[in-house]
Amino acid sequence: MRLYLRLAWRNLWRHRRRTVIVAVAIGGTLALMMWYDGLVSGFNEAIYGNAIRVLGGNIQIHAAGYGAEVEQLPLLPLANDQALVQAAQAQPQVQAAARRINTGGMATTREGAFGVTIVGVEPDQELPVSLVAQKVSAGRYLAADDQDMVYIGHGLATAMGVGIGDRFTLAGRDTHQQMRSRTMTVVGIYDLGMPDIEKRNIYITLSEAQSLYGLEGQVTEIAISLKQVGEEPAVMNALRPSLAGAEIVSWQTSFPELEQALATKGGAMNVFSVIMMVIVGIGILNLLLMAIYERTREIGILGALGLKPHQISILFVLEGVLMGVVGVAVGVALGLLINGVLGQVGLDYSQFSNITSYMALISGRVYPTWGVEKLPQRTLTVLVITTLAALYPACEAAQREPAEALHYV
Amino acid sequence: MIQLYKMAWRDLGRNRRRTFFSMLALAFGVALLLFMASFVAGEMRGALQSAIKLQSGHLQVRAASYNEDKTSLKWEDLIENPDALAAQIAARPEVQAATPRLYATGIVVAGDTSTGVRVIGIDPASAASAPFRDGMVSGDYLTTDDRGGLLMGKTLAGKLKLAPGDTINLLVNTSNGDVDQQSFVIRGLYSTGTPGYDESTIFLPLAKAQAIARAEKHASVIFILLKDQDQTDAVAAALAPAYQVKTYIQLNALLSEWEQFANAYMYIFYLIVLGITATVIINTLVMSVFERTREIGILAAMGMKGGRIMAMFFAESSLLAVGGIAIGVVLGSLLSAYVQRYGFFIGEMGITGILIGERIYTYLTLNDIVTLTIMAFVITLLAALYPAWLAAKMEPVEALHSGK
Repeated sequence: MRLYLRLAWRNLWRHRRRTVIVAVAIGGTLALMMWYDGLVSGFNEAIYGNAIRVLGGNIQIHAAGYGAEVEQLPLLPLANDQALVQAAQAQPQVQAAARRINTGGMATTREGAFGVTIVGVEPDQELPVSLVAQKVSAGRYLAADDQDMVYIGHGLATAMGVGIGDRFTLAGRDTHQQMRSRTMTVVGIYDLGMPDIEKRNIYITLSEAQSLYGLEGQVTEIAISLKQVGEEPAVMNALRPSLAGAEIVSWQTSFPELEQALATKGGAMNVFSVIMMVIVGIGILNLLLMAIYERTREIGILGALGLKPHQISILFVLEGVLMGVVGVAVGVALGLLINGVLGQVGLDYSQFSNITSYMALISGRVYPTWGVEKLPQRTLTVLVITTLAALYPACEAAQREPAEALHYV
Repeated sequence: MIQLYKMAWRDLGRNRRRTFFSMLALAFGVALLLFMASFVAGEMRGALQSAIKLQSGHLQVRAASYNEDKTSLKWEDLIENPDALAAQIAARPEVQAATPRLYATGIVVAGDTSTGVRVIGIDPASAASAPFRDGMVSGDYLTTDDRGGLLMGKTLAGKLKLAPGDTINLLVNTSNGDVDQQSFVIRGLYSTGTPGYDESTIFLPLAKAQAIARAEKHASVIFILLKDQDQTDAVAAALAPAYQVKTYIQLNALLSEWEQFANAYMYIFYLIVLGITATVIINTLVMSVFERTREIGILAAMGMKGGRIMAMFFAESSLLAVGGIAIGVVLGSLLSAYVQRYGFFIGEMGITGILIGERIYTYLTLNDIVTLTIMAFVITLLAALYPAWLAAKMEPVEALHSGK
């Protein structure tokens, strides 16, 4: 086998120019795929990273059945919230565990109305971990004993034309499906540079949310912030015994539409990459067919020396595979170069922040990663297609009659 | 010139299989790109047509101070006596339908769940409401004097686990800045094939919407559909002085931004894919230069100038380009014609900012075919540059003495 490899490797470099051109074509295709993969995971990182920092908590615990209706923010109280908070705080990786109530609502003035997500928070717990709490641009953050006070985003304040001390009506609903509306005073405004998130999320104290929405002493969510990203699985496993039926999720599973969009786009990209590789494969096929004509005499000699037809075809298949390997090397180098540069510069997607709810979490630029996440699959695709492309010429080579081939000039 | 092409044609015929494969590579590239272009164009066209039909109309007439970002219901921001104005606009010959609509913000409350929605008061009988009437999937359509019923999107009903006949609580903002609530029966479910729209929009008859929002005899906009889209600007100009008039182009600015963005990416893809097909052509021609070293030597010895030798290779690559592009355009057109007919299911992507349907129908434009043909042709010609230069710089004497 080593002998074949050596022969194939030498054959490969007999026409340096051709091989380089093919390798560049393979490399270009692979680099394009790596760029795409890098962009996708850059998107994911931007969205999930911001989801953790902005929306709060690496891990959330909800009552059973919450996940199925997560988009509608159901008012499902958690049964054993105090015990769960204590269990979470006992974990060494946990920085904070905050109790919350999330519910849909509407902020209205005579100027207009805005659908919002109302988050009831424990200010003391949130302050050290929540970016929203830290990015106060006017006024102050909530305090535990605030009454009828609301903390809103810069985006909403601008859209509604309200400032510190101004009042508006905040409507929501309680657990008996009855409307609860109350006039609230703006106590503080936060600015994250993400207008669509700022328009959507407004904060009141947990005790106020509990009394307004009929959840005395209860909460719908426990948001757990970790000291480091990546420790989610360990903490989730440690907390499982104390859940008693409650659901535990991390952000990775919290955007079903994002998953769907990525799956669809990813599928299209896979088809796309295969077609591009087929084009490259045709180039390889052409090249190897040529090589057979050029090397007719050689093939005759190999045959005369006693090489079996299938051994001759192995030689050509190997040549195709090696071409693929060289191409992959070129592609990886090129891909890393492109992603390295783009990872520094970033790509601007901010103008599309209101197209989908998850896009709102992109605060300006997206920085692609190295794009090596799917490299094994991509490499495999390249090698499979180069091998297939080499098969036809290899069969052709094997069919040569040694005596005739030897006489070929 | 003709002679050059004759020679090029014969040279290509000398190794038919290679020529065929080279053309095939180019054809695949062109077909792939053509399909992609038609997909993007179809997506955008579908989104624009959905937006016009469902959201923006061709034109909207509003009160001067109306701000659509706020969904204000203040009477000053609304149109007074909208029926009269709508009738007056509908009387214009270019107008297909003009109907008053009232926009409010609301929350649907059902069981444990609630979700924010846009509440639209419509005239159920108007021709402009046809997409909802025709899109009914279960239950009954609204009647003009219905006081306790509403129409809900199928997507939203699915998420809230509701069916026609169920009762929900609806919270709606009112003209005095408050919020009012009332229970409604779901009369029926509609589907427009655009999940992002269906999951966030609820319809009430206009009179009921005005009553609950305390905006009696007022409407947010007059929604206008024209018989011919191209007359939009002319009609807008005729209506403009008295009211705030917005055209569908102004109302769908995000869509055109998105389209430009998608097109920019398309051009990058064009260049990369055609670049890769070009490598196949380069290799083919390089091989053919070296096979014909002796011939080129003879031609040069007979007095053929370097320029003409180069021209010969350009002729060869242009023939390859013509063949490859022709096959590619046919393949790509067939593929996109199929998807144009049967559609391509993409499902729900959670896109609410622009109206992407759950099924995309490709749309092949002549413009895309021409652009792509020119680009592919130019790039294939450029691919011949290197092999042609290799051939032209050969020293006749050496070339004559080469192996073959």
